[in-house]
Amino acid sequence: MTLTAPVITRTAAAARAADVWKVYGSGEAQVVALRDVSVELERGRFTAIMGPSGSGKSTLMHCLAGLDAVTRGDVFVGDTKVTGLSDAGLTKLRREKVGFIFQQFNLLPTLTAEENILLPLAIAGRKPDRAWFQTVIDTVGLGDRLGHRPSQLSGGQQQRVACARALVSRPEVIFADEPTGNLDSRAGNEILTFLRRSVIEYGQTIVMVTHDANAASYADRVVFLADGRIVSSLDDPTADTVLDMLKAAAG
Amino acid sequence: MIKASLRGLLQRKLRLALAVIAIVLSVGFLSGSIVLGDTLNARFAGLFSTINENVAVQVTAKDPDAAEPARLSQADLDRLSRVDGVAQASGDVSAEGVIPFRTDTGKAVTAQVGLAAGVDSRGDTLGLVELREGAWPARADEVVLSANTAKLAKAQRGTQLKVFVPQLGEARTYTVSGIAGFAGGRDSLAGETLVMFELKHAQELFYGTTGVYASASFGAASGVSQDELKKRIERELPSGFKAQTGKEATEEASNALGDSFGIFTIILSAFAGVAAFVGIFLIYNTFNIIVAQRSRELALLRAMGASWGQVIRAVLLEALVVGGFGATLGLGFGIAVGVGAEALLSNMLGVDLPSGGVVVSMWAVLWSYVVGLIVTMIAAFIPAVKASMVPPIAAMRETVRPDKSLLGLSITGGAFLVPGAGLVALALTGIGSATTLVLAGGVVLVFLGVALLSPLLAKPVVRLLGWLLGRGQAGKLGVRNALRNPRRTAVTAAALMIGVTLITTAATVAQSFKSSIEDIVGQNTGVDIMILGPNTGPPNGEIGFNPAALDEVKKLPGVTDTAAWHITIEAAIAGTPAFISAADVPTAKRMWQMQEVGGQLRTLGAQEMVVDDNMAEASRWKAGDQVTVGIGQTSKKYTIVGIYKRTPTLQGPILGLPAVDDFAGKLAYQGFVSLDDGADVAGTVAKVEDIMSDYPGVTVGDMSSFARQQSQAFDVLVNAITILLGVALLIALLGIINTLLLSIVERTRELGLVRAVGLSRGGVVRMVGVESVLISVFGCLLGVTLGVGLGAAFVKALIDLDFMSKFALPWANLAVYVGAALVFGVVAALWPARRAAKLNVLEAIAYE
Repeated sequence: MTLTAPVITRTAAAARAADVWKVYGSGEAQVVALRDVSVELERGRFTAIMGPSGSGKSTLMHCLAGLDAVTRGDVFVGDTKVTGLSDAGLTKLRREKVGFIFQQFNLLPTLTAEENILLPLAIAGRKPDRAWFQTVIDTVGLGDRLGHRPSQLSGGQQQRVACARALVSRPEVIFADEPTGNLDSRAGNEILTFLRRSVIEYGQTIVMVTHDANAASYADRVVFLADGRIVSSLDDPTADTVLDMLKAAAG
Repeated sequence: MIKASLRGLLQRKLRLALAVIAIVLSVGFLSGSIVLGDTLNARFAGLFSTINENVAVQVTAKDPDAAEPARLSQADLDRLSRVDGVAQASGDVSAEGVIPFRTDTGKAVTAQVGLAAGVDSRGDTLGLVELREGAWPARADEVVLSANTAKLAKAQRGTQLKVFVPQLGEARTYTVSGIAGFAGGRDSLAGETLVMFELKHAQELFYGTTGVYASASFGAASGVSQDELKKRIERELPSGFKAQTGKEATEEASNALGDSFGIFTIILSAFAGVAAFVGIFLIYNTFNIIVAQRSRELALLRAMGASWGQVIRAVLLEALVVGGFGATLGLGFGIAVGVGAEALLSNMLGVDLPSGGVVVSMWAVLWSYVVGLIVTMIAAFIPAVKASMVPPIAAMRETVRPDKSLLGLSITGGAFLVPGAGLVALALTGIGSATTLVLAGGVVLVFLGVALLSPLLAKPVVRLLGWLLGRGQAGKLGVRNALRNPRRTAVTAAALMIGVTLITTAATVAQSFKSSIEDIVGQNTGVDIMILGPNTGPPNGEIGFNPAALDEVKKLPGVTDTAAWHITIEAAIAGTPAFISAADVPTAKRMWQMQEVGGQLRTLGAQEMVVDDNMAEASRWKAGDQVTVGIGQTSKKYTIVGIYKRTPTLQGPILGLPAVDDFAGKLAYQGFVSLDDGADVAGTVAKVEDIMSDYPGVTVGDMSSFARQQSQAFDVLVNAITILLGVALLIALLGIINTLLLSIVERTRELGLVRAVGLSRGGVVRMVGVESVLISVFGCLLGVTLGVGLGAAFVKALIDLDFMSKFALPWANLAVYVGAALVFGVVAALWPARRAAKLNVLEAIAYE
């Protein structure tokens, strides 16, 4: 373990974890979810985090996004040190630097698709950039559905609204938690294609947790976790190489 | 099935907590009222048994209220005293309304009851009153005071004391010859004053002749039972008298008093009923939301073979348990409230009663459970039916419940509202005999109707309010939340509506009265100063002032006219209880500018009367008709010689001054004074006050001070109603908290999401706060609108009856109510908003 304190520097990393430990409970019931994890997620790239159930992949993402506090170590989003931020600081971070896409879509049923997409900006009191909004809408292909309520949309359409919502505020990094977990494969592939396009065309940084090798194959890089440790990583993955790697990790 | 349902109950105990509190509050209010009534009753029963402790037999007139009640002569008393087995005998010479004046300020002593008695040199042979110092009164100008009286009047042995005697119609000065106390070292029986005169003097004062007694009490020799002595005495009884054992007399006295507490208990119970009614809304919402949240679980039970009947029974069983639990706690709470209120009330009224335990009657227990269980079962019935209609398939899939149309609900609402409004109108026009019941039924139907219609109103009204209040994104989300389930918002708001409606109705009627009074004062009727009798009891001729005092008033500079007004409520016209006046009609006509509608408004002789046109019309009387008028125990035929135009100040039958002979006393209850233009009103008022200072409780004022006094009385009334509705309002507040808390549980994931996309904790608080304020302001607006409507209906009826002259809106009150609703909303949001803001974002999103 290095003793030099991590100096805040402008790096290429959109988010990074340094020597992060996450321990739940204490004594007999203690569960170590993350053991000394250090990882850098490069700016403008699409990173997938994979691993079997209980490997700590979701915990890692939650810690990186500031949704969960780490037990030890430090987490940065851009040049903001997330560790130790107050609730107000975390709120600011979420408004300015982070976007989320969830497995359950999590749209507000009382708002239309358009209002859902613009919600983060409205909450932050920022004016939407109309041209960018239009670009995002075109990318996810929702033009004719903007006035609909979530209950009037299919699962795939709802998730596209959620993607647009994450993209519209141009966050430093978008965290996607099993974004295709609740979708059929066609709708899932559509979503992954949008995510991929937003990385290539707009330089958006995306971190995605998934257990689906096909989904991971859309990423630039896959990080594998097992028992709370990073065991390996893979650049430019395909579904086959990811599967091989998973087998190796499991073995 | 039952086990599953009860286990479910325990798991949701937090969600049911507020429903239980609502039951506890309304049942507590009800049982508290009953316990209070019963306990006060028991205290007074205790008081009477103290008074009658040594009394074995009491002999009283069969008809003590007769115009010429039977009296016991000295010979009667002596004969009864010699009956075998009588150990002590005591003739009773007593009166009420005898009021001493304070020696320091010269003002009348204000006690609840002013008793007087006559005693001879032996004092009280039955041992209730004991001389503490000095001597029993031996001369007509001597009195003995109870220790409490001496304390209140700041009098000692030897002091010169002014005492008002209603039979004399004036105050006289006496010398205090001694101070007495009651057995057991008490200074008074219940905070009253007691002045004891020399026996013969008292007999002359109270009965007009010496040697007579109103009643007598006898102590028994040892070994002679009360019943045995009663039998023996009955053989010697003079006609017109009856004998009772001490025990019977005690029961009769405390029962009579119990009836007056009965009314008090009924009024409190009515307000408790309102609280329980409001509680229904809260409990309904709770069960409805719980059933909605459990629809998956219920569907699973159905899929596993539970019949819909079993599901209904399971939900109703939950309600039964919740209701029973709430009623039990409520009963306990009510007992505590009753005890506290009794202590407070006794203290406030200065009634110093002998202490005793709290009384919890069967009724208190029975009513607690009946109300607790019925309220909960009614409230849970629709949710239970709804639960039974969850299809088994709902267990397998995500249920999407589309917004149901509000049409059916609104039609049902109309079906309640229209007949409800009809009943109110019917009751107010006075058709039918059970008017109060018709009115209450009508109002309840109107409430239900508006409550059912309110979801329809919720959308436009909340949207409008939201546009005014829901600023910022957090606010907008709050508005959306308030709108998303109009039924829930409306039911929650309707609970608040009920209390606000009743308060607004009262305030509207009161305001109309106030401005009607101002109108009358504004009109120049010719009356400049009013003299009003004491409000210590109902006017019957025994309280008020001697009309001769007006002769002195008439001599004051600037005074042009005076009129004495005798009033009694112990009267009946053609068999119907009535409020009767006696006055000099020509003077009244001059001063009040009475308008002749029929016959003649002239000086009335014996058995002549005038009535107002309204009354004449209703009873189809015309000048020359004969009507039976009962005053006290007398009943005579009166001839209607004139009919006058009714005004809000002057109405009802007016008899001639000769009729005053039949009143219980010859005191006037009101007096009117006219002044020259430019006379010194304030100066004259002071002089009249000086003349009237000998008459306890009589107040003097010019017309504007009279109006002010009346206005204040109405304000006090509205405030009292508001306070009594406090429990209903509190339950409505709990209802808002309840709905918000349950909604927050339902929307946990959404809360997590808005936090994840950057809403601050403060934003969440604002969001919940706006929803809360919208609900409460919506409920308040519904209530204010409905209350003004009901108030207008009442005022219209009262104007038709000439009780008031105009309708007026209580603008200031309405503004206060809306302002209070804003605060109410904020207060209701405090706890739910805190809970919402404290949600862990990660857990909220992961929430399933």
